[in-house]
Amino acid sequence: MKSKLIIAIAAMGLTVLFSSCQKVPQTEIDAATAAIQEVKDAGADLYVPEAYQALVDSMKSANEKVEVAKAKWFPSYTKAKATLATVSQMAVDTKAKSEARKVELKAETTTMIGEVKALVEENKALIAKAPRGKEGREALEAIKADLAVAETTVTEVEGLLANGDLLGSNSKIKAAKEKATSIKTELEEAIAKKGGKK
Amino acid sequence: MVLNKKKIKWIVVILSSVVFLIITVCVVIVSQKDLPNNDLKLAREALSDAKEAEADVYSESKYKQSVQIYDTAMLNWSRENDRFILVRDYSRVIGLAKKSKTIADESKDESIAKADDLSKNVDAAFVSMEKKIELYNNLFKNLPIPRSVFDAHNKSKMFFSESKIAQGNGKLKDAEILFKKAEIYANHANAAGAKMLRDYFNDYPRWKNLANDAISASRGGNKVILVDKVAHILYVYQSGKAIRSYDVEFGPNWMAHKEVAGDRATPEGNYHITSKKDGGSTGYHKAMMLDYPNAEDRAHFAQMKRQGLISRRAGIGNLIEIHGNGGRGFDWTSGCIGMRDRDIDDLFRVVGSGTRVTIVGSIESLSVITKGVDF
Repeated sequence: MKSKLIIAIAAMGLTVLFSSCQKVPQTEIDAATAAIQEVKDAGADLYVPEAYQALVDSMKSANEKVEVAKAKWFPSYTKAKATLATVSQMAVDTKAKSEARKVELKAETTTMIGEVKALVEENKALIAKAPRGKEGREALEAIKADLAVAETTVTEVEGLLANGDLLGSNSKIKAAKEKATSIKTELEEAIAKKGGKK
Repeated sequence: MVLNKKKIKWIVVILSSVVFLIITVCVVIVSQKDLPNNDLKLAREALSDAKEAEADVYSESKYKQSVQIYDTAMLNWSRENDRFILVRDYSRVIGLAKKSKTIADESKDESIAKADDLSKNVDAAFVSMEKKIELYNNLFKNLPIPRSVFDAHNKSKMFFSESKIAQGNGKLKDAEILFKKAEIYANHANAAGAKMLRDYFNDYPRWKNLANDAISASRGGNKVILVDKVAHILYVYQSGKAIRSYDVEFGPNWMAHKEVAGDRATPEGNYHITSKKDGGSTGYHKAMMLDYPNAEDRAHFAQMKRQGLISRRAGIGNLIEIHGNGGRGFDWTSGCIGMRDRDIDDLFRVVGSGTRVTIVGSIESLSVITKGVDF
């Protein structure tokens, strides 16, 4: 009777022992890795670089936790699984942030294209009113050249936007807007001075 | 039977003790081993810091090396963990993790230093670029430059603006790339402008003679008109002194000497006012007709035709005038000399038919025009 009891206890002990030896959460690792790749493919490393880097760091941390668990006599991947679940969720959030940033950039660039076009037209009208004379002539030539730059850039930006280069088009249109705005200020100041002389 | 039971009991006790002893020894052995998790965590954090300092941009090689070593360490850790627990050896993994951290730290420091240097270089490059744009604006902007040169200058200005924006956003590497593009276009535009100006001034000795001769001709009290194309100024000389000066405009191809009809160039040489027009006889407020083409122009035209340098059907052109409707701020005429209406009103009073009109590229030498600027 006693020997039967001992065998039963030993069997229970072995069951507990083997049940605590979990397998590496490969499915979760693969899912998180694929999610990160998907996020990268969506351009998150370009559009939301900080969030993307945090995601990559979290994945590294999860991989370390897997190995920490693997190094033990009786591996338990509970912590690693929790981190991997967080990584997967972060990937979803990062992708959403990236998509939102892309929409935001596209809208911002489109709005600025309209603004620059309007500024170019305003400037053309102001050039007609601007004072001439020798200095005026030289200044107007410079202004016209600058305005041509802004105008050409708008066309370039439209092409870049159509090709999906959101960052390049955004930075170019910002430069064009800055230029067109400075031209407007210059022309308005020249016209105001001319008015003052009268 | 009793003995058997007792014997089994002892065997179980002894076996249990042996197993317990083995497990205890194994646990002791394993716990004595250093695990690499802390070193790898430190390496990962160092990599993260380096990335934040843009080491992947400014210290790319070291940063990549550090990442590679970290990845190798992780791979080795995983391989060691796949081995039997008692024979695992993490020393190589720990060594790799430490090396990764050291290189990541170095790449961070290198990145900060390089970014600092780059920032200074970009600042210096911006100053140099401003000078190039200023040179173009001062010397070449008003020349009838080809469209491609004008476009190159515009592109350079745009890339320069983008470069400044990138610098403002702390993206120095991007600023440097954009600046280099700007510099290529600026150099191209300035080189083309410089060549055009130098080639044009090859005729300076002839212009100088023409101008000196015109001024000498005014010494007897006659009024002489002297037109400086580069300066865009029409002078009236009398007794060797300029008694009037007016801003003027030409045709878009003003830098060339007029050779054929429709080239929109303004002739260079000695001419005379043949008639004065006002009221309904001109569409330009007031006008003074010149005797273009003169004998020299006709001879030159005939020679060009003989040499096949111009079309056999080309005409020499005529109706070159000094007229009003100017002051537009750009070179717009078909080769005539355009003036503001109030200026031609004044000139009309000052000069009469028969007045000599000398048109030259420039009265001043190239070094005076460029104010000694090296280009």
